[in-house]
Amino acid sequence: MSALPSTGEGKERRAGRLMMAPAVLVLVAVALYPTLASIWLSFQRLILVFHERRFVGMGNYAFLVRDARFFSALGHTVYFTVVSVTAELVLGLVFALLLHARPPAKNLLRAAILVPWAMPTVVSAKMWALFFLGENGLPFFGISIFDVNWLGTPGYAMHAAIAVDVWKTTPFVALLLLAGLVGIPQSLYDAAALDGASSLRTFFAVTLPVLRRILAVTVLLRALDAFRVFDVVYVLTDGGPANTTETLSVYAYKTMMRGGDFGYGSTLATATFLCVLAMGGLYFLVIDSEEETR
Amino acid sequence: MSSSCRSERAGARRSARKIELVVKHQPLGESDAFRRILRAFEIDHPDVTVVAEALPSSSDVAHQFFLTALEGQARDFDVFVVDIAWVAEFARAGWLLDLSPFVAPASVRRDFLAALGDAVIFEGKTFAVPWYVDTGVLYYRTDLVARPPSTYEELLQTAREAQRAHRQLSGFVWQGRQYEGLVCNVYEAIWGHGGQTMQGDRLLLQTEPARAALHYLQSLLATGISPPSVTSAAEEETRRAFQGGRAVFMRNWPYAFAETERQGSSLRGKVGLAPLPTLTGEPGHGVLGGYQLAVNAFVDRDKRDRAVALLRHLTSLEASVDLAVAYGRSPARRDAYDHPRLMSDAPLVAALRPAFERARPRPVTPYYMMLSDVLQGEFSAAITGVRAAEEALARAQSLVDHLMDAR
Repeated sequence: MSALPSTGEGKERRAGRLMMAPAVLVLVAVALYPTLASIWLSFQRLILVFHERRFVGMGNYAFLVRDARFFSALGHTVYFTVVSVTAELVLGLVFALLLHARPPAKNLLRAAILVPWAMPTVVSAKMWALFFLGENGLPFFGISIFDVNWLGTPGYAMHAAIAVDVWKTTPFVALLLLAGLVGIPQSLYDAAALDGASSLRTFFAVTLPVLRRILAVTVLLRALDAFRVFDVVYVLTDGGPANTTETLSVYAYKTMMRGGDFGYGSTLATATFLCVLAMGGLYFLVIDSEEETR
Repeated sequence: MSSSCRSERAGARRSARKIELVVKHQPLGESDAFRRILRAFEIDHPDVTVVAEALPSSSDVAHQFFLTALEGQARDFDVFVVDIAWVAEFARAGWLLDLSPFVAPASVRRDFLAALGDAVIFEGKTFAVPWYVDTGVLYYRTDLVARPPSTYEELLQTAREAQRAHRQLSGFVWQGRQYEGLVCNVYEAIWGHGGQTMQGDRLLLQTEPARAALHYLQSLLATGISPPSVTSAAEEETRRAFQGGRAVFMRNWPYAFAETERQGSSLRGKVGLAPLPTLTGEPGHGVLGGYQLAVNAFVDRDKRDRAVALLRHLTSLEASVDLAVAYGRSPARRDAYDHPRLMSDAPLVAALRPAFERARPRPVTPYYMMLSDVLQGEFSAAITGVRAAEEALARAQSLVDHLMDAR
C-alpha cells in the first residue's frame, strides 16, 4: 500500500465490507463452522452411545498412522480417483468432439447425453447392481456381464464401481469440454487450414492447447468429487468384498454412523479433507507457475 | 383400510385428552392383524390411542434411526422394536426403560426361548421383552434329495451327486456378501465345528473351530459346490437363485419358505426345511435373530405405565399367536408353540420350534456394531481368499481386542 486511502475511498470500502458481511456469515456458518467442528471432534474420544467424551489430543491421529485399514482405504480412493477421472476425461473429450462436429439433431443429442448425469446416483447404482448380479438380480435384467461375479470378486468389484462412476459422470465432463470447444475462435482453425495442417495436427496444435485451462478445471472438479466418492460404493458393495472397495468416505461413514465412534470417524473425515485441500493447493500451484512462465 | 385410518385420526382429534402411544415397528406384512391387536388394547384402555409407525425394513437403517433419535432424547415414540444385536448397546446407553419391575429376569428366562434371556437381560435387569424370533435353517429340494444332510460331509456329497445329474445346478447357496448376514453364516459354521463365541468378556476368534469354519466356507467356493455369486449375495439374491431352481441347498431365514410355497412358484411342494448340518451330525445351531420390544427411557413418567401395558399386551400369548398366523412371525414365547391355533393355522412355525430352542445369539456386547464391522471385512477376506483364514482371524482378533480394551 503506497498511499493512504482518501476518506471517501475508506467509506466506500467500509460500505463494501458491510455488504459482503452477510455472504461471509453464510460461508462461515455452512462451510467453516462444520469443518472446524469436525476437526475439533477429531481430537476427542467421542462414543455417542456410551456418553464418552474426552479430549485425547493427537491420540486418534496416532492410531490413524498405524491403521492398516486407513491406508488401504486411502489406496482404494486414490486408485478410484485416478482411473475414473482419466477414463472420464478421455471419453468426455471424445463425446465433446463428436457433439461439436455438428451431428444431426444436435440439441437432442446434447440433452440425451445428460440423462445418466441427471439420474440420482443411488438410483443408477442400484440399477447397475442388478445388472452386475446377473440372474440373481431382477429376473428382468437377467444378463450377467461376461459371466463374471463383478460385485463379489476382489479386484473386479472396484472396477465395477469405477465403471458406474464413469458411466454417470462422463456426460458432465463432455459438456464442460464442449463449452470450451465452442469458445475456440474459428479464425484459429482457418489459420491452421491455411498452413495446411492435418486435422490431427490441428487437434494437437490448436484445440488441445486452447482447451488446456478448461481441462485443468475439469480435472480439479472431478478429482475433488471422485476423492470423496461414497454413494456408488455404498450401494454396489458397501465396501466389500474384503474391504477391497472401501474408500475413505465409506470407512468414515461406517465408523461414525454404524459404530457410533464420532471421534475417530471425524479423524478419518479430517484426513480426507486434508487430502482434498492438498489436491486443490497443488492445482493452484501448478496453474500459478504456468501463468508466470507465460 | 385407508378409511378406517382416517376415522381413527378424527376420533383422536375429538377427544384431545386421550393419551397417544406411538409404536415403532418393522414392516410385518400384508394383513391388518396388527391393527386388530392394537385395537384390542384401545378397547381395554379407553383413555389411550395407539399409533403404529413402520420403520425401514433394513435393520441397518433402522439402527441409524434409533441412534440419532435417541441420542437426541426423542420422545415422539414410546414402544419400539430392538434388534437382538442392539439390546446391550441401547441398554448401556441408557435409552431403554428398566422393565424388571414388570417382567422379572427370572420370568423372561422361564417364559421365553432359551437363548433370549441372555440377549435381553443386561447387568441383571430386563431391558426388552422378546417379541418374535428368527434363525438360520437349511432349505433343501425334496425332489432332488432323499433326506437332508446332517453333516458337512453329507452336504458336500449330496450336492455333488445332484450337480452331476443336473449340470446347471449349484450345490449350496448362502449369504457371502460383506454385511451382517455374512457374520451370521460364519458364526453358524463356527458353532457347527464345535466353536464358542466368547470367553468371559473376550471375543474368541483365534480358535481351531473358527479356522476350520472359514476353511470350510472358502472350500465350498473353491470346489464349486457354492457358485461364485455367493460372495455378492444377501438373503434375497440366494432366495432368487434357489427359487429359480438353480440350487440344491440354501441357508436362509424361515421367511423364504412362504415365498417358495407361494401360488405360482415352480418349487411349490418341493422344498423341505432342516436343521443346519454340522461336523458331527448333531443338529446345528442357527444364529438367533428377531425383534424385542422396549420402552423409550425418555417417555414422560405419566405415560410409562400405559407404554409398559402396551408392551405386555403386544408380547402376550394371544398377540404372539396372532402374529404367527397372520405374518408367519415365530413367537418368542414358549407357551405359544403349544397353542392349538398355532399348530393348526401355522404348522411351519410350530415345526421350527426345535430350531429356535437351539439357536444361539451373536456376541452379546454393547460394542457389537463396531465388532461386526471388523468381522465383516475379515470374514469376507477369508472366504474370497484375499487372506488365509489364520491371518484374517489374527487381524480380526487384534482389532476387536483393541476396540474392546480401548474403551
